[in-house]
Amino acid sequence: MLRPEVLERLASVVGPDRCKTAKEDLLTYAYDAYVREFLPDAVLFPKSSAEVSEIMQIAAANDVFVTPRGAGSGLGAEALAKRGGVVLCFTMMNRVLEINSANRYAVVEPGVVIAEFQKEVEKHRLFYPPDPGSAAVATMGGAVAMNAGGVRGVKYGVTRDYLLGLEIVLPSGKVMTTGTITTKDVTGYDLTRLICGSEGTLAVVTKITVRLLPKPQTKRTLQAVYDAIDQAGTTVSRIIESGIVPATLELMDKTIIKAIEDSAHLGLPLDAEAVLLMDVDGDPDTVERQAATVAGFCRDQGAREVRVSASETENEMLWTARRSAFGAVARMRPNCVIEDATVPVSHLTEAIKKVVEIGERNKVQIAVLAHAGDGNLHPLILCDLRDRDEMERVERSMDEIVDYALSVGGTLSGEHGIGISKSKYLPKQLSETSLGLMREIKKLFDPQGILNPGSFLEDRQL
Amino acid sequence: MISEQLREEVHKCIKCGLCMNACPVYKQLYFEGASPRGKVQLIKKVLEGELELSERFHELLFTCLLCENCSVNCPSGLKVDRLMKAMRAELEQKYGLSWQKRMVFHLLHSSRLLPFAMYWGRVFGPTLMGLFAKNGRVGTIPFSKIPRVNSIPLIRQYLQTISPSGQRQGRVLYFTGCATNYLFENVGKSIISILQRLGIEVLLPKAQMCCGLPIFLSGARKMALDNIRQNLRVLLAEKVDAIIVDCATCGAALKKEYVHILEELGQDAKEASAVSKKVLDISQYLVRFDLAEHLGAVPDRVTYHDPCHLLRSQAVKEEPRRLLNMIPGLEFVEMSGADACCGGGGTFQWEHPDVASGITNKKISAIEETLANVVASGCPGCRLQIHGNLRSESIRVVHPVELLAKSMDSRLLDT
Repeated sequence: MLRPEVLERLASVVGPDRCKTAKEDLLTYAYDAYVREFLPDAVLFPKSSAEVSEIMQIAAANDVFVTPRGAGSGLGAEALAKRGGVVLCFTMMNRVLEINSANRYAVVEPGVVIAEFQKEVEKHRLFYPPDPGSAAVATMGGAVAMNAGGVRGVKYGVTRDYLLGLEIVLPSGKVMTTGTITTKDVTGYDLTRLICGSEGTLAVVTKITVRLLPKPQTKRTLQAVYDAIDQAGTTVSRIIESGIVPATLELMDKTIIKAIEDSAHLGLPLDAEAVLLMDVDGDPDTVERQAATVAGFCRDQGAREVRVSASETENEMLWTARRSAFGAVARMRPNCVIEDATVPVSHLTEAIKKVVEIGERNKVQIAVLAHAGDGNLHPLILCDLRDRDEMERVERSMDEIVDYALSVGGTLSGEHGIGISKSKYLPKQLSETSLGLMREIKKLFDPQGILNPGSFLEDRQL
Repeated sequence: MISEQLREEVHKCIKCGLCMNACPVYKQLYFEGASPRGKVQLIKKVLEGELELSERFHELLFTCLLCENCSVNCPSGLKVDRLMKAMRAELEQKYGLSWQKRMVFHLLHSSRLLPFAMYWGRVFGPTLMGLFAKNGRVGTIPFSKIPRVNSIPLIRQYLQTISPSGQRQGRVLYFTGCATNYLFENVGKSIISILQRLGIEVLLPKAQMCCGLPIFLSGARKMALDNIRQNLRVLLAEKVDAIIVDCATCGAALKKEYVHILEELGQDAKEASAVSKKVLDISQYLVRFDLAEHLGAVPDRVTYHDPCHLLRSQAVKEEPRRLLNMIPGLEFVEMSGADACCGGGGTFQWEHPDVASGITNKKISAIEETLANVVASGCPGCRLQIHGNLRSESIRVVHPVELLAKSMDSRLLDT
């Protein structure tokens, strides 16, 4: 428990309005988009790195656990106070500090919402590609901590690929910067990319410098409808082999299609087994040509219908619907657990079939969504947490999906992170030596173990 | 207690957070308790017995505009607003209402006291409003911008049956709502004159009461039952083609809320559903007519604001725009974020002026960017809020029907 005199000192840093301790408020910081809850002792809302530094100094001096949090849209309890203590919530530290067109970079505070930042840079005809499904909610700080990916990964990569530098506060309270504002930088170890994806275990990010691209001149969205999921899978392989790199390449199975249609009413074909949703972007000539080629591939592989979107509004509607898939599917059952295993893209079709087979064998309802272009599967496992027998079958299915992905050279998690939802699988993928080294790194940054305790690196199950 | 069907709703929330970005209140305050997701969590904890009804819970549940952005943006289809409304009713039983709300609702709830109060309100209005004011403002609205009460309530200015000019083409019942009856008589006069010219007989029942929505959205459902029953009786008494309303809020009450409340209280909702099927917003009713031959030029630059209770509660979006676009000479210009809440939210702007003014300022800026000289909107609450916060004196706020009536007048003058 947080001692009252320590809480008082922490609260004095941010003032009473930005320190919440009422039970009602704490209950609203006990969750993220995963299924577990952990109650913090207090929630603080810093607005500057100086405040964060002061908070960390007090925390270090008094052994207070601190867990940084953005919008709380994580899928593995990464930003929850798993062992109590203080949640450091960045939603009020949310200014875009600079957009520099001459050097194509931007500096933001961690609480800026990704989609709002994207809109802002697009006004300058610039482009920040990483686009996780939660972009309308998730913060830039959260994206850095989790190395968020998203639908554009196949062409544009993930958050890590756009980071130029960070300002961070170490658990001791020391403030430091990493990286520069130049694209090239080989000075010293690349601490920027070590912090990115560290799930808030090494340092607290207080400022983020990202590289921007020129905004692609135009974009076309294609929608291909299939009667067999295999056909969609082989289309993906065919596109990748051909050398065309679409900006997005999303696969949805019939359960997802139905769920999206029920919530968004876009006229998606309810009798289809699979739909591929694809963007090609670039200059108008290339886009025209590539759209035609891709549409040809779809038909060759048996697509019964290929539609090219007529307008930007239609593009937007399709993608908004796609982004709401998680929530839309969730209306079918009380709970929904998202898997995130990722396979080499050549194994995609096989992997989808494997997931379907695993679901059927364990009598678990699984809807399949995939960032198909980069082999990132998102099986959505529908369940009711209150049903213990069902949850055991869900657990077993997840184990099997993970085992399969690793057996073909894939990974436990493509973009959602480990948190507590997948920490038990870590030894399957990382050697004892590798895990040991990671724990040493953690100790170096955080010798007292006060930052985000209960994280993926710890052995004990929560 | 909250109905079984609504109790299941809380399990639909998977905390994806898509409601947060849609929530104007969260976008001002940036903490979870202010967000729909946070409130659903707290309601769930109350229903599961892990949290008692408390002052803080009460405060958070009323830190909400009931703009319904969360409900329409929830991919799980969770009816957040209905859950909130039902929970507010629980809270009202424990905590009651503030004395100001008690006083106002007492008036709205009485068919005799309200006209009496409004009569004296014309004389002593400023003094009475002083009870609600702080620093010369009622919530975010400066004193001087509170409209004066109609000299005679609209309903008393007409007969109960108003005949059309020319041959009778149809027959409607007009539910004026308090705002038109007591504050914005020109809206009512415009509607009546438009309908007369279109050959529609208008019934204006004297016995209609406040729709009761401000009362039951504050949680006082039982108190509102009298209003609901009386209105249902009045609205079903005559055979008409349609029941028309000019107020987004009354429309939402008659179309949806009456049915919900009666069902949730375990009462017979048959009459309420019969009424709900007949109710049309005036814009929905008027777009059915070929108005072109009646319309003359109105040289205004007009933008339109979507009231929450019209857009999200009733899905009325295109009809008012189509009416405005019919008017010759009128230059229609869409503002950015026309569908964003104005920040009024009934009593919200009075209870949370700081939050409200942040939301309203965005709306005002969007209006100013259009360079329009008129803002049209079919909701008296939005009208008060927007007019009350406009920085420029040269921008007017009107109901779309007022422009339509003006256009008809200008046609008559031309010919």
